[in-house]
Amino acid sequence: MNYVDCFRALARHRTDEIVVTSAGNSGQAWWAATRDSEASFYLDASMSLSTMFASGLALARPELKIWAFMGDGAFCMNPGMLMVERRMNLPNLTHFLVSNQAYGATSNAGLPNAQANDYPAIARAMGLERVFAFRDLPTLEREFPSIKAANAAGHIFVALEVEPFSDAEQKLEQPPFDGPELKYRFGRTIEARTDCDIFGYRL
Amino acid sequence: MNDKPSDVGKQIADELAACDVKLVASLPDNWLMGLIRTIGEDRRFVHIPVNREESAIGLCSGAYMGAMGSAALMGASGFMTVIYAITKINYTYEIPLFLMLTLRGGVGDHHKHHVSNSLYLRPVLDAINMPYQIIDAPSDIRSISRCYHHTRTFSRPMAVIFTRDLLRGQRP
Repeated sequence: MNYVDCFRALARHRTDEIVVTSAGNSGQAWWAATRDSEASFYLDASMSLSTMFASGLALARPELKIWAFMGDGAFCMNPGMLMVERRMNLPNLTHFLVSNQAYGATSNAGLPNAQANDYPAIARAMGLERVFAFRDLPTLEREFPSIKAANAAGHIFVALEVEPFSDAEQKLEQPPFDGPELKYRFGRTIEARTDCDIFGYRL
Repeated sequence: MNDKPSDVGKQIADELAACDVKLVASLPDNWLMGLIRTIGEDRRFVHIPVNREESAIGLCSGAYMGAMGSAALMGASGFMTVIYAITKINYTYEIPLFLMLTLRGGVGDHHKHHVSNSLYLRPVLDAINMPYQIIDAPSDIRSISRCYHHTRTFSRPMAVIFTRDLLRGQRP
């Protein structure tokens, strides 16, 4: 399925979820789909740490639902993160593994073993139980709402098989924020939703 | 030295708890095993053993954005693998991070394979302008709180570095 169309579909199903994106294409696609500058943290170029960042946030704020996007390029750098996620097993975390079978942020450079990597199987082998995979938009539209609504223990792993960005899509705007601005916009949103104090002073 | 290593671990844990640290993400170093065990058994903390040191950086940074206090505990060698993650996340977004490291390669470390840490740990910290404080004696442990709060005041990472003498007792 088309990468940006997939993200637009997820955006339509989003209610109050807090979002963390990974480097490159997932940040571009989510920004194109939502223009969200409050409840999304664009963790640019973190090289595999978006779901760890999201796990820390999900642990700290169990009252929030957290979606974390990660490309398969980032996943290949740190697949052992799933062991940590499985141990934490946070019911408010959904890990979206966006598989375009390429390093999308670097002009779709080749990914090692791309054709054979079976991410849902890897996740299950790590002990994850709520593992789902989508290859086409109609199935995603039809089945994702029930996955999202399920009140079950343990965190969710969703593999999304998408096409690599086209040349035109590679030119989609990057989320334009300076780091500190994003930190404060996002943090103030978390504070407002949960009445917590992140920065030591409230506005 | 009067304090046993187990007492030192308890003192460090008490300092962390006094800072409202809840999450401790760790990777082992032989010198740290007593401290990791102490923290793992202490119900004041959520202890998460991680798969690699970078994951600890991600976890603690995310916890900060949820208003949860945290500390990343790792050896010197592990720290040397996380420079990109720290500069990319904690410097770009100005997210505080509190690290607890070991002074591998320091006087009293008899492992030759830590010569690289002896030569480069502190120069690397200096190169990325990361403040650090060496904790060599039980009486220094109370400075952990000050260092932790420094990260919150200046929105940057800071490390405390434990010596072998502190963690394992003095050796000739």
